[in-house]
Amino acid sequence: MSDALERFEKGLREVSEASAGAFTGRSTEQALRDENAKLVGPNGQLTQLMKLMRELPADRRKDLGQQANALKAEIQAAFEGALDRLARAAREAELTGPALDPTLPGRGVRRGRLHPLTRTIHQLVDVFVALGFDVEDAPEVDYASNCFGKLGFPPDHPATDMQDSFFVERPGGELDTVLRTHTTTVQIHQMLKRPPPMAVICPGAVYRRDDDATHSPMFAQIDGFAVDEGLTFAHLKGVLTAFVRRLFGDEVPVRFRPSYFPFVEPGGELDMGCVFCRPWEADAERTRACRVCKGTGWMEILGCGMIHPVVFEAVGIDPTRYTGFAFGMGIDRISMLRHGVSNIRLLYENDARFLARL
Amino acid sequence: MKASHRWLTELSGVDASAADVAAALTRLGLEVEDVEPRGEGLDHVVIAEVRAAAPVQGKDKLTLVTVFDGEGERQVICGAPNVPAPGGRVVLARPGAVLPGGLAIAEREVGGVRSSGMLCSETELGIGPGGAGILVLTNGEPGRPGQLARDALELTDHVFEISLTPNRPDCLGHVGLAREVALAFGVAFRAPSPGVPARLLAGVDRLDAPGDLPLLEDDAPHLDTLTLVEMRAGVPALVPIRIESPERCPRYAGGVVQGVTIGPSPFWLRHRLFSLGVRPIDNVVDVTNLVLLELGHPIHAFDLAKLRGPEIVVRQAREGETMATLDGEERRFTADDLLICDGGGPVAVAGVMGGRDSEIGQDTRDVLIEVAYFDARSIRRTSRRLGLHTESSHRFERGVDPNGVPRAMRRAVSLMCLLARGAASPIARDVCPAPIAPRAIAFDPAHPGRLLGMPIAERQTRAALEAIGCAISPSEDHLWRVHAPTWRPDLGRPEDLVEEVARIGGYDAIPTALPRVLPSGRGVDARLRLARRLREAAADLGLLEAVNFAFVSRDDLTRARIPGAPLALANPLSEERAVLRTSLLPGLLAAVARSRRHQAASAALFELARVYHPVDGEPLPREPWHLAIALAGRRVDHVAEDARFDLYDGKGVLASIVEATLGAPLEAHGDEALDAEAPYLHPRRRARLSIDGVSVGVVGELHPDVGDAADLDARLVYGELWLERLFEAAAARGVPQARALPRFPSVSRDVALVVAESVQVGAVADALATAGERLVEAVELFDVYRGAGIEEGHKSLAFRVVYRDPGATLTDARVDTAHGRVVRAAMEAVGARPRA
Repeated sequence: MSDALERFEKGLREVSEASAGAFTGRSTEQALRDENAKLVGPNGQLTQLMKLMRELPADRRKDLGQQANALKAEIQAAFEGALDRLARAAREAELTGPALDPTLPGRGVRRGRLHPLTRTIHQLVDVFVALGFDVEDAPEVDYASNCFGKLGFPPDHPATDMQDSFFVERPGGELDTVLRTHTTTVQIHQMLKRPPPMAVICPGAVYRRDDDATHSPMFAQIDGFAVDEGLTFAHLKGVLTAFVRRLFGDEVPVRFRPSYFPFVEPGGELDMGCVFCRPWEADAERTRACRVCKGTGWMEILGCGMIHPVVFEAVGIDPTRYTGFAFGMGIDRISMLRHGVSNIRLLYENDARFLARL
Repeated sequence: MKASHRWLTELSGVDASAADVAAALTRLGLEVEDVEPRGEGLDHVVIAEVRAAAPVQGKDKLTLVTVFDGEGERQVICGAPNVPAPGGRVVLARPGAVLPGGLAIAEREVGGVRSSGMLCSETELGIGPGGAGILVLTNGEPGRPGQLARDALELTDHVFEISLTPNRPDCLGHVGLAREVALAFGVAFRAPSPGVPARLLAGVDRLDAPGDLPLLEDDAPHLDTLTLVEMRAGVPALVPIRIESPERCPRYAGGVVQGVTIGPSPFWLRHRLFSLGVRPIDNVVDVTNLVLLELGHPIHAFDLAKLRGPEIVVRQAREGETMATLDGEERRFTADDLLICDGGGPVAVAGVMGGRDSEIGQDTRDVLIEVAYFDARSIRRTSRRLGLHTESSHRFERGVDPNGVPRAMRRAVSLMCLLARGAASPIARDVCPAPIAPRAIAFDPAHPGRLLGMPIAERQTRAALEAIGCAISPSEDHLWRVHAPTWRPDLGRPEDLVEEVARIGGYDAIPTALPRVLPSGRGVDARLRLARRLREAAADLGLLEAVNFAFVSRDDLTRARIPGAPLALANPLSEERAVLRTSLLPGLLAAVARSRRHQAASAALFELARVYHPVDGEPLPREPWHLAIALAGRRVDHVAEDARFDLYDGKGVLASIVEATLGAPLEAHGDEALDAEAPYLHPRRRARLSIDGVSVGVVGELHPDVGDAADLDARLVYGELWLERLFEAAAARGVPQARALPRFPSVSRDVALVVAESVQVGAVADALATAGERLVEAVELFDVYRGAGIEEGHKSLAFRVVYRDPGATLTDARVDTAHGRVVRAAMEAVGARPRA
């Protein structure tokens, strides 16, 4: 009995002594925890000592128990104090230690972009949709007859030979399929598919055998047309004038002049005032020096006309009942003008430095 | 087409500025692209008369010339060998003149003698090709001493560059253009008289045969002024012509001019040709070129002595027949080519180029002039086949005026008599087996107003049509019969006439109106709509959009291990672009390789485009649309981080795109079939993508061997989605349906399971989710651990399993029981053990 008492009291003294400097000079949290565990951990000195409590004389048990608890609290406080000091020191060190180098580059957030051609197409499409046009697709590999003959190209027209158009091989078959040379083929496809009235545009890639700074063998076009009873050239002018104004602004002048395409008659081209030197602002000097319009003040942007009766005859629409108008334009050039791109090849090289900037 | 403003003014009688004429032509549909002033800056350049010429001592190449420049005499040193004798006229640049080449003329010492000006050559004045020496005016040419050279020689002009549409061959000559100028300014147009030959061969019998073309009328007023010249012995005045292919050559005329003297043309003609881009050669050849530029009708001159027979046969070539053309090339023909032959064989490629052996030379004395009309398609085919595009073929393949033959013949003959001092046969042969009459078009005079959308008076329509040369005769009904002039082959249908009325009135005069468009209810094609949303989603995720050519090389596809045979182009521009792509991979691979070469830390690209899959037995391929992505290099662009894109980036990006566009979850799983379907992917780092079991694409890291073959120094992550399949999956999925929000809380339990490396996370998660416990709401992986405590070849997967009873609050006891069952069942299903 007294043996236990003796051991307990001795133990308390030893723990008290051991705890006195236990937490000083320890510089890591782990060291503090190790020291703490030696004293009050599951196998710690004080914890072991407490197991003797039941063997202590009853009259001393309360007193010694209080002493042991006080010691435990003391140790706890010392441990926490030491932890706290350590944390403070670490915080102090962080706040006064070496700073991050703010001149290191920021962490990049990847920025995606639609291709400039795509964005131009979206803009044009949106304008025509607002004007009431459907947007349709047409195949890129098509019968030569859809691309030429039905559109009124005479046989032996330069566009129909191997020099100008890509023909697609067909094992064992004739050479009668081509990569479409214009999106105008949409007229044939749509008019064969549904009865008038209709108003349709078709954006897409087209192909011609040209390759230089201003011609790419693949490029993008939008064609559009409308067929109904009583459509007139005045309607053609109205729609295309509205198109130009919505795309480039109400102040931009437009002019129509006669031109020729096999699938329209009368045929024309639409010029719009040069949006770079803006001649309507009457700065003649700026216009004279303008390299985009070469000083003319006008930019050609599309071909147009009243649908030729041969086209209606080719698709079985009665040309004495229906009339229609059609137009087509290159998208690459519009995109190049907008972004100041001088070589069309840049549009198809997919250089990330180019794509990311535009 | 180059056109001279001065010449157009002469022909049309319209005295308007070059700028006004250019604008008017453009308004009429003859687009003037450029107006180039000529003869500017020749301020101190005058005509001078030579008074004396003396050699300069010690300088045997120099001459001291005394000239009279209208004000006085001055002395100039000249280095040219052709200083004329006193009385000859030359062009003098006085001190102060600045010549077109920038040369400033000043008084200076030459060879120790003072020279007060310079005698000029055509080259120095920028008015001709030059040749040996200074410009010397011959007798009969205008210019008196002191007169400004630009006035005396009519050097000031504006040259238009006109972009002619192919339907207007009538404007490939100045007379046709002048007709349009007159039209634009409301002036009546009269084609100029072709002239009559000033010298005629005596004793040519007039046969009055149907093939005879008289070159002067009997009652011509100047018959008395004609000079009659004896026929040259042994030289015919008429050459027989036989047309064996009348459908390809409906008309052929040949006229003889005897006794010409070959020499340089007068200055005005040389200058006219030169300023329109044609090199002056000699008086006979220059006349043929002048007629071409004036009337737009190509003609040809043969040296009559070199023609065997002499006779002319127009026939199709024999297969393999050859002839040397004027340019010295030996040409080989097919049976589809039309040749002009003499008694011995071919002497010209009809409508394209003459033969070398019958061309005009210095010793030519007698000339046969050919004026013909050839079928446009035939000429076009021959010109293309020979790769020979000439001023002549350019016009014939667009269509010249068959009934313009007599005029062109008269013009050529009279000019040759005048300029080469020849004597013409008064009759030319003109063989016309298939006469071409003006086309008659039945025309409703109300048509223009109806099609243009404006009221147009009948008399306005009539005036417009007559102004372009149409003849209108009344017909029985209300229609007009409009006879279009044969120089306008483009006028064949009523709509063509409507365009004439419209362009003469001016397109500006047509009002603008918006049509009433009935809503079709179709709107934007579904595929185009989906494509746009996919593109926007991809760009939002940080990818740059690429647009590649649809054609690639066979090697591109082979190197990228794309299965299947592509469609080939019959006439590719190069082997590099010989076939249509069957996959978007080659294009993106090249784009990524390109950005790696530019040392970009990373590349993140997408492309949405069609590929072309041949279909057995079908003439046209399928054109499915694919969205492809390519990621390579650093995942995060920062020096301090080095993580590289891998499979999971590809999967994540595509899943986000699908989520954003279709609102559907994208699943990825292994599939051995990809060995054959996508052999370009890494066999251990790839997956099939599906939505609700519908396969919609693939994703993976590129097979390292494919990367090597493309010289790619980085791991590339490639994935594609197929739009057709996306539609299919979206349609099957339908519209998402709402569910009541849970009313009772969920409880979660974590479990760590150790499985062999070969066991996929998806399998374990599926096992947990489908262990038969209806309380399981979700299973989420939150840790994958390998290392201490886990044996080699195994991994520990930690999942959080979420439990919920939609009808009650869960108790710990129920959850524990359920969780125990779930874990046991899952362990059994996938062969897992709990982590210790």
